[in-house]
Amino acid sequence: MEAFRQIGWLIHKDLALQFRTKDMLALIIVFSVLVVLIFCFAFGPIFPEKLEERGKLAASVLWGTFLFAGIITLNRSFDIERMNGALHGLRLTGVDASYLYLSKVVSIFLFLILLEVVVTPIALQFLDILTVLPVALQEQLPWLLLKLIGVIAIGTLGFCAVGVVVSGISTNTDGKESLLSVVLLPLTFPVVMAGAKCTVSLLTTGGLGGNFWISVLIVYSLVFLASSYLLFEFVVEG
Amino acid sequence: MMLLQASQITKRFGHRTVLNGLDLNVQPGEVVTIFGPNGAGKTTLIQILSTLIKPTSGTLQIGGINALEETLRVRPTLGLVVHEPFAYLELSPYENLKLFGRLYRLNGLEQRIAALLDEVQLTPYAHEPVRIFSRGMIQRFMIAKALIHDPALLLFDEPFSGLDLAATRLVLNRIDQERARGKGIILTTHNTELGYHVGSHFHFLLNSQIETVAAKEDIGLEMLSRKYEERLKG
Repeated sequence: MEAFRQIGWLIHKDLALQFRTKDMLALIIVFSVLVVLIFCFAFGPIFPEKLEERGKLAASVLWGTFLFAGIITLNRSFDIERMNGALHGLRLTGVDASYLYLSKVVSIFLFLILLEVVVTPIALQFLDILTVLPVALQEQLPWLLLKLIGVIAIGTLGFCAVGVVVSGISTNTDGKESLLSVVLLPLTFPVVMAGAKCTVSLLTTGGLGGNFWISVLIVYSLVFLASSYLLFEFVVEG
Repeated sequence: MMLLQASQITKRFGHRTVLNGLDLNVQPGEVVTIFGPNGAGKTTLIQILSTLIKPTSGTLQIGGINALEETLRVRPTLGLVVHEPFAYLELSPYENLKLFGRLYRLNGLEQRIAALLDEVQLTPYAHEPVRIFSRGMIQRFMIAKALIHDPALLLFDEPFSGLDLAATRLVLNRIDQERARGKGIILTTHNTELGYHVGSHFHFLLNSQIETVAAKEDIGLEMLSRKYEERLKG
């Protein structure tokens, strides 16, 4: 029970810091919408007629945007811990490193989910994908969007599970941001790939097209979450 | 019981030896002052004693516990004041103290925070972000943060640097109070006058090694200053 309380206080602190200065929220939303707009201008104004092609385009726009927004969020979140030795302050309280890990994963996950809930409808609207959906899918649009957010949420969890560990490692090295991007991108590739495949399938058929990619997404996220939870002490303590 | 017992502490960064076979003991009610010039390894020593970094070799017992093995048990018994606030500047002193107090699992936290903020004269600024504070105000906040959990051992790294007279007096008074309450205190400084004033046992940290000088009753300020200058030249 005490563990949950401590994790809760750490999440509360992270969210308070993220939302205290509105600059982070504004930066990340403006950045994400800009990325979506750039893709739309590059591929538009006339998008591919075929639903499958348009689904692939939407999936690449969404996952590309979320990946880079996620990297910025991770950087910013660990900058706050790095500056003025705040992370050392937390370590000195004797709090378990795994609590630090879980709280960071949850707070960054919540922040990114908020962003994704805002950006996903904007991207789908700009890419004009809703008008080419089959009538059967249009009738189930809220359910389809819910499933889409669900897939994005699992992918985001996997991204956070990996990203927090890599950010923790890069905090203790000289490379910092460059190391984060160089190491994180290959490690999150399975998440992005599986997430994009599921997204394409959802937008074109309304289903996941079998269990393979969603299984990859779930298993990869859970394996990284569990292993990082156990190993984060070595990341923090060096 | 010995509060802190460091034995044969060595720290190397690559080929550079910063601390070489250092021994240090602190009893309850002692203020151990360590004098050393810039770059002598004072901050590294404080970081090792506070378990933030591990020594290359040596042993460290704090409160009878092996501090290098059981760091999570030892850390809540330590209070640390260093160059950095070790806190969140976007949060207010109240929010910071509440967060850290909760993580230390303290009871009666609201009263404790109010009393500490009052003591360090930050009550009017309790809900302002720490980032707008002056150096002296941040130092006072750091003292409140270091004391929030009533630690048995206090570690101060250059606590007087950048402080005005009032803030310096506050630090000195607080160290005196904590010593009177039986706490162990380790303090590093290059200011012989203030270090002598507050300390009970004196050491020099020179050439990666610690030299025990004397207890306060065995040496005067003048003699200590002369010895320190000679050792710096020599």
